[in-house]
Amino acid sequence: MSTTTTASPNEAKLWGGGKSPFNSEYGKVMMWYFLMSDAFTFGAFLISYGTVRFSTNGWPNSNEVFRSFPFAPEGVHAPLVFVSIMTFILIISSVTMVLAVHAGKNMDKSGVVRNMIWTIIGGLAFLSCQAWEWNHLHSEGAWWGMNPFLNADGTASSTNFTNFFFTITGFHGFHVFSGVVINIIMLIMTLLNKFEQRGHYLMIEKAGLYWHFVDLVWVFVFTIFYLL
Amino acid sequence: MSHEAALHNHEGQGHDDHGHHEHHDTFLTKYVFSQDHKMIAKQFLITGMVWAVLGGLMSVLFRLQLGYPDASFPWLESILGKWAKGGQITPEAYYALVTTHGTVLVFFVLTAGLSGTFANFLIPLQIGARDMASPFLNMLSYWFFFTASIVMLSSLFVETGPFSGGWTAYPPLSALHDASPGSKSGMDLWIIAMALFVVSSLLGGLNYIATILNMRTKGMSMTRLPLTIWALFFTAVLGVLSFPVLLSGMILLIFDRNFGTSFYLSDIYVNGVGALSNEGGSAILFQHLFWFLGHPEVYIILLPAMGMVSEIMSVNSRKPIFGYMAMLGSLFAIAILAFLVWAHHMFVTGLNPFLGSVFVLLTLLIAVPSAIKVFNWLTTLWRGNIRFTPGMLFAIGFVSLFISGGLTGIWLGNAALDIYLHDSYFVVAHFHIVMGVASMFGMFAGVYHWFPKMYGRYLNNSLGYIHFWITIAGAYMIFWPMHYQGLAGMPRRYFDFSIWESFKQFAELNRFISTVAMIVFAVQILFLINFFYSIFKGRKVTVLNPWESNTLEWTTPIRPGHGNWPGEIPEVHRWPYDYGKDGHDFIPQDVPVGADETDTH
Amino acid sequence: MSHTHTDQEAHNKEAMAEIKKVTIILSVFTIIELILGFWMIGMTSVGLKLAVKGTIVILMMAKAFYIVAYFMHLKHEVKNLIMTIVVPLMLFVWFIAAFLWDGNSFRNLRNNYDPYFKEQATIKVEKKEEGEHGATKHKATEVKEIPAPSAPVEKH
Repeated sequence: MSTTTTASPNEAKLWGGGKSPFNSEYGKVMMWYFLMSDAFTFGAFLISYGTVRFSTNGWPNSNEVFRSFPFAPEGVHAPLVFVSIMTFILIISSVTMVLAVHAGKNMDKSGVVRNMIWTIIGGLAFLSCQAWEWNHLHSEGAWWGMNPFLNADGTASSTNFTNFFFTITGFHGFHVFSGVVINIIMLIMTLLNKFEQRGHYLMIEKAGLYWHFVDLVWVFVFTIFYLL
Repeated sequence: MSHEAALHNHEGQGHDDHGHHEHHDTFLTKYVFSQDHKMIAKQFLITGMVWAVLGGLMSVLFRLQLGYPDASFPWLESILGKWAKGGQITPEAYYALVTTHGTVLVFFVLTAGLSGTFANFLIPLQIGARDMASPFLNMLSYWFFFTASIVMLSSLFVETGPFSGGWTAYPPLSALHDASPGSKSGMDLWIIAMALFVVSSLLGGLNYIATILNMRTKGMSMTRLPLTIWALFFTAVLGVLSFPVLLSGMILLIFDRNFGTSFYLSDIYVNGVGALSNEGGSAILFQHLFWFLGHPEVYIILLPAMGMVSEIMSVNSRKPIFGYMAMLGSLFAIAILAFLVWAHHMFVTGLNPFLGSVFVLLTLLIAVPSAIKVFNWLTTLWRGNIRFTPGMLFAIGFVSLFISGGLTGIWLGNAALDIYLHDSYFVVAHFHIVMGVASMFGMFAGVYHWFPKMYGRYLNNSLGYIHFWITIAGAYMIFWPMHYQGLAGMPRRYFDFSIWESFKQFAELNRFISTVAMIVFAVQILFLINFFYSIFKGRKVTVLNPWESNTLEWTTPIRPGHGNWPGEIPEVHRWPYDYGKDGHDFIPQDVPVGADETDTH
Repeated sequence: MSHTHTDQEAHNKEAMAEIKKVTIILSVFTIIELILGFWMIGMTSVGLKLAVKGTIVILMMAKAFYIVAYFMHLKHEVKNLIMTIVVPLMLFVWFIAAFLWDGNSFRNLRNNYDPYFKEQATIKVEKKEEGEHGATKHKATEVKEIPAPSAPVEKH
C-alpha cells in the first residue's frame, strides 16, 4: 500500500480498483497485449533469419533478387522500385485507417465508411503486389527449399534465403489478409449501424490497432529483407 | 467522449448483467460449454488430472524397465501390444514413454492444469469480479486445450508410435520423418497439439492479464492484491510473451518436416537413406527458440505454486505474509530474469563459451529473488500459530522441495560444472524436485485449500495426511539418490544400464527408486479417490469462511452461482494479510479500517 | 466529456495536423531509406556499407516509433499503459543480441573446425541460366550422391 498512498492522488484513483487503470475497456487492453505477443512471434522469425544469416558465410544480394517490375521489358532491372510501391501502399492504408478511427471518435459514420473502404483497397492492393512478387519469384525457380540465386560473392547459396523470405513474408501476408477480413467485417458492421447503436466506435479502434501493427511489421520485414 | 461513455456503460453492465441473473442453464451450458470461470477452472483441473494419471502411469512403466531391465511382465504385452513384445518394453516404446511423460506433465498438467485451474478459479473471486473480462474467450481457451489433449492422446495410438525424441523436440529427430519411428505421424500430431496448446494458453493469458488489470473491485489496488493474483499475473505475462516464440519455432519445424526447407538442418546423414542435401541450417537455432519459451515455461509452472503457497502459509500461520513488497519484487525479478537465461540449457550444444559465461551470470542472479522468497516463507512461519491442514503441509513441502531442488540449480547454472553434469541423472533429480514435484505440491496445496470453495465440501483430512507424508517421503526417496547416480556419470534417457560395468552398482538403487515410484503413484490414486468421493459425499461446508481467511472469495456464498456475489461486490479496504492485528485473529479485506486501528502496512 | 463544441473542433484540427505530420515523416524516412539502399548497390567499402546499414536500422526504429506512438495512439494513452508495452519490449535487446552473437559464433566455429564448410564458401559457381539452375541443384528433398557424411571432410 505504501506505493499507492505516497503516489499522487490521481495515480491512486487510477489504480484503486473499480475502474480500468488505463482508461481503456478490456478489449483494447487485450488487443494491445495480443499485439505484444504477436510481436514476439514476428520477432522470433526475424531474429531466426538474422541468426542463420550470421551463421552462414555468404548471402544473396537482395538487389539482384528483387529487381523485377510488372510489365517491365525483359532485361530491365529495377531493384527496390516495386517494393517501395508496396511499402507506400501500406503506409497510405495505415493513414486512412487512422482517419477512420478518428472519424469514429467523432461519431462520423460516413467518414468511417469512406476511410475503411480506402483501407481495404490498400490492403487488397498490397496483397496483389505480394502475389505478383511471389509468382514472379516462383517462376524464377525460387520456392521453399529451392534457391536459384547465388551469394553476393558468386558462391553457391543455401536455400535459407528463400526459405525465410517465403515464410516470413507469407506469415506477414497472412496477417494482412486477416486484417483485410477484419476490416471488411468492421465496414459491414458500420454500414449496419451497429456502432451507432452502441454509441461508440471502439471496435474500429481495435481493428485499427491490428492494422497498424501489420504496417509496423512490414517496416521491419521491408528493411531487413530488401535493404540490409 | 464516446470512449468514456463506453467505459461507463461497460462497468454498469458488469453489475446488472450478472448480479441478478436468472439461470436457465441446460446441462450443456452449465457443465460443458460453460462460460462461468469456476466451471472452466474445474474443467481444467479434471482434464489436468486425467493427464497427470496418464503421465504418471507412463513414468511407472519406464521406471519398471529401469528397475527390472531383465524381467519380463506378460501383462505389459497385453496393454502395450507390440511395444512390449515378450513382456519387455522396447527401446522405441521407452523413448516414446519418456517423451510423452515430459510433454504431458510440463504442458498439460503443470501449465494448463495448474495455472489454468487456479487462474480461472481465483482471479475473479479474489479480485472481486463477476467473471473474467471475456468469459467467451475463456471458454475457447479451455476447448483449445481440450482439442490439444485429444490430438496428443491420439498420437499415442498411431501405428509408428508417438513422438520419441524427448519433450524438447530437438531437430533433426523432430525434423526428419526417417530419423526414428516416432518422428513420423506421431511428431505431426505432437506439433499440432502443441500449436493448439499455444493458442489456448494465449487466450487464457490475455484474459487473465486484462481481468487483473481492469476488473478489480473498488478499493482493490494493485498492492492490496493477494500474492496468488500477483503470481498468476506474472505467469500470464510470461506465457503471453514466450509461447509465441515456441510457435515460430514450431512453424519453421513444420516447414523443415514437410516443405523441404533447411532451417534447422545441415550436413545430415541418415542410415539407410544417405546424406541429405539440406544445408545451411542450424540445429542450435531451434534450441534457442525452444528454450526462449522453455525457460520461462519453468516459471510459468512454478510461479502459481509460489503464489498459492504464500497465501496458504499466511492463512495457516495466522500471520501476515513476511515482506509483501519483497515477495512482489522478487516475483517481478524472476519474471524478468526468466527471459534472460534460456541458454543455460545449452551449455554443451556448441554455444559460444563466452556467451555461455554471460548466461551463467544471469542464471545465478535468479538465486537472489528465489532466496528472498524462501526466507520470507520461513519468516512467515516463524512464531506463527500454525495449523497443519493438509493444504498447509503441502505448502511447507513445497518450500522444502524448492530449497532442495533450487540449490542444485546453482550447481547446474555454472557452465563449468554443467559440462560434467549435463544430461545426467543429476539434472533429472534437479528439475523433478524443483519444478515437477514442487509445483505438484503447490497444486495439491491449492486443491486442498480451495476445495471447500470449489465444491462446498471438504476433502477427507486423514487421507490428506497419508497422501502428504507418503508423497513427500517418496519424492525424496526417488529423487535424492538420483543426484548420486548423476554425479557418478549415469546419463539420462538411457533404456538399460545393466550392460555397463560402471552402472551395474546402481541396479539395486534403480530397483529401489522404481518401487518407491510405484508406491507414490498408488498414493496419488488414493488422492483421486478422496477427490471424487468428496465432491459428492465429503463433509459439507457449513460456514462461509472455513479457514478464517481474509481474501474475498470467502465472502461469496458457500456455493457461489454465476456472477459470484448475489448482491453488490464487496468493497476492499485493506490488504489481504491482516492476521493477528490489534488483537483480532483476522480482519477480512472488506472490513472498513477502524478509527483506532494501528496503521501497519 | 466536459469539452465544449469549439474545444472539440480545436482538438480535431490538432489531431489532423498530427496525422499529416506523421504521414510526411514516415514518407520522408522511407524515401531516405530507399536512397540509401540505391546508394549501397554499387558500394564496395565494407565499413561504409556497415555505416549505411546502421543508419537504415535507426531510420527503421524511428519509423516504428512514429507508427506506434501516433498511429497506434500509444503516446496519448495513460503512462502506465505505455510502460506495460515498452518495458516488455526491452526483452528484445537481449533476445536479439544473444541470438545473433551465437549465430556469428556458430559460423566461426564451423569455419575453424569444419574444412568442408569453409571450402564450400569459397567455390565460385559458374553463372548459368538461373531458372533451371535453382530447380535442379538446390532442391532440398533430393538426396546427394555422397555415400557417407565423413567423406568430404576426409579429403583434407
